Amino acid sequence: MLMNIGYGHFLVLAALLFAIGTAGVLLRKNVLIIMMSIELMLNAANLTILTFARMHGDLGGHSFAMVVIAVAAAEVAVGLAIVVAIFRGRRHVDVDKMNILKH
Amino acid sequence: MTFNTGDLLYIAPFLVLAVSGMLLVLAEAFFTGKDRTALAGITVAGALASTVVSIVLYRHLGPTSSRLLFSEMLVADRTGYVLSGLFGVVAALAALLAPSHQRTHGWVVGEYYGILLLTASGMVLLAQAANLATVFLGVETMSIGVYVMTALRRRSRRGNEAAMKYFLMGAFATAFLLYGMALVYGAVGTTNLVQIQQRLVSGNLGLLTVGSFLMIAAFAFKVAAVPFHMWAPDAYEGAPTPVTAFMAAAVKAAAFAAMMRVFGQFMGGDKLPYGVIGWASPMVVLAALTITVGNIAAIRQDNIKRMLAYSSISHAGVLLVGLCAMGLGSASGKAAMVYYLIAYSLTTMGAFAVVSYVGSKDNERLDIEDWAGLASRHPAAALAMTVCLLSLGGMPPTGGFFAKFYVFKSAMEAQDQQLLWLTAIGVINSAISIFYYLRIVTAMYFKDARGEIATTRSAGLVFVMAACPLVILEMGLFPNWWLTL
Repeated sequence: MLMNIGYGHFLVLAALLFAIGTAGVLLRKNVLIIMMSIELMLNAANLTILTFARMHGDLGGHSFAMVVIAVAAAEVAVGLAIVVAIFRGRRHVDVDKMNILKH
Repeated sequence: MTFNTGDLLYIAPFLVLAVSGMLLVLAEAFFTGKDRTALAGITVAGALASTVVSIVLYRHLGPTSSRLLFSEMLVADRTGYVLSGLFGVVAALAALLAPSHQRTHGWVVGEYYGILLLTASGMVLLAQAANLATVFLGVETMSIGVYVMTALRRRSRRGNEAAMKYFLMGAFATAFLLYGMALVYGAVGTTNLVQIQQRLVSGNLGLLTVGSFLMIAAFAFKVAAVPFHMWAPDAYEGAPTPVTAFMAAAVKAAAFAAMMRVFGQFMGGDKLPYGVIGWASPMVVLAALTITVGNIAAIRQDNIKRMLAYSSISHAGVLLVGLCAMGLGSASGKAAMVYYLIAYSLTTMGAFAVVSYVGSKDNERLDIEDWAGLASRHPAAALAMTVCLLSLGGMPPTGGFFAKFYVFKSAMEAQDQQLLWLTAIGVINSAISIFYYLRIVTAMYFKDARGEIATTRSAGLVFVMAACPLVILEMGLFPNWWLTL
């Protein structure tokens, strides 16, 4: 069975993960879950890059993926700091209740 | 693949900004005492040093010569150095705005300065990017820094909320950018933009189309183009005014610098946009929507920062028109875009400087009613604001007028006159925009003041308020030199 797994499967898996992540960002209310969904999207994109890198036999894609992992970690660190600041002021992290600023 | 140390010289503007940014972060850790004005001085020095280096390198390169650096990761050319120089100047102006605003509104944080320069270093990276990986790295270096700067006013609930919204929207857009890049990479087998340009015709058309559309959506988020603009008014309103100024001026300009590289230069050309990939077709729709919706929403705003936010959205629309013109083979498109970016950035910095000046402790005076009679109490500030607003509205003899004029002129020159209708929409909207800009002017000059208007004064702030309108007027009266950049 394992022999039949090809590039296409990886690409479809990545597309599904990306779609799940997008749905998570749009539907969930808790900031932490939204951030997890964004991570899922970034990792789906990374999986796509790595699959294509193997397909094309190009090392540039592999190094790109490493850069993305580092950058995503930096981004999430900043995001969590903002979540902590929000939580200190309001004791909740629900995006639907963040509406002080006018629409 | 070899590491060429000579290439380091060509990224000197980036190195100066990054190194001085890191030194400032260190300096802030060892800084004792309550006043952080000295850090602002170092920041201005670092930012201007990078501008000087950009000018030297600009003069060193010929008008048409370009040089690929570090295994074609970056490119050195004149456009890149003009924009790097602009980012240095805007960072210096943003550093000048900060100390008095921080003291008045009680958010004295030294981290602002280090992060400001690190953010600017990401922008320089974008101006010089020649690879999708460096575009991504530049976008993120810039964005992460701006998220932090938006959140710096930690005790302000508005500031926190703005930072949260900006962060979530920005990170969401980043994921789309990356997935788009992944698909383009899959289609052509390289992240190198020079090679992508050569392989566009042979690449997988479906992947290329979806990939480039996703990238356009992501960049539209970053420049706050309609319908991806919802975060902008909230983020602009909630962020401290100096940060708002920097976001509206430099972040937008840098995102356009990246779009000019990726779409205008490498994925554009004479036959590509409508034919092979068609990235110009969603882009013209975005441009038309952005100009119109931004303007109409701005009319309804009573908060000056929100009004300027919507105005900056509609300016993004005009810049998208220029980008489409550039992609559709208009020869003057690039010069028009560069002129527009310079004029728009300086105008925005000037306008927000006045907004910062007019606020005082516990009263930021962001409502238009609060500006009534400003001209009788503070005539110089009212005059500076008027010049900036006229420039934003595209009235002669300011830089804003020629900026719009040249962008629309270059759109007329696009192949087969495809952008004629877009130009018409742009011109009509320029006329509409005069209405809400003049609302502020009317309040300042023709209404009576309701009492004393206390202001925030500092030498740096006054310098920005004086210098920006003067340069805008100079750009409007003698535009020729700026167009040769």
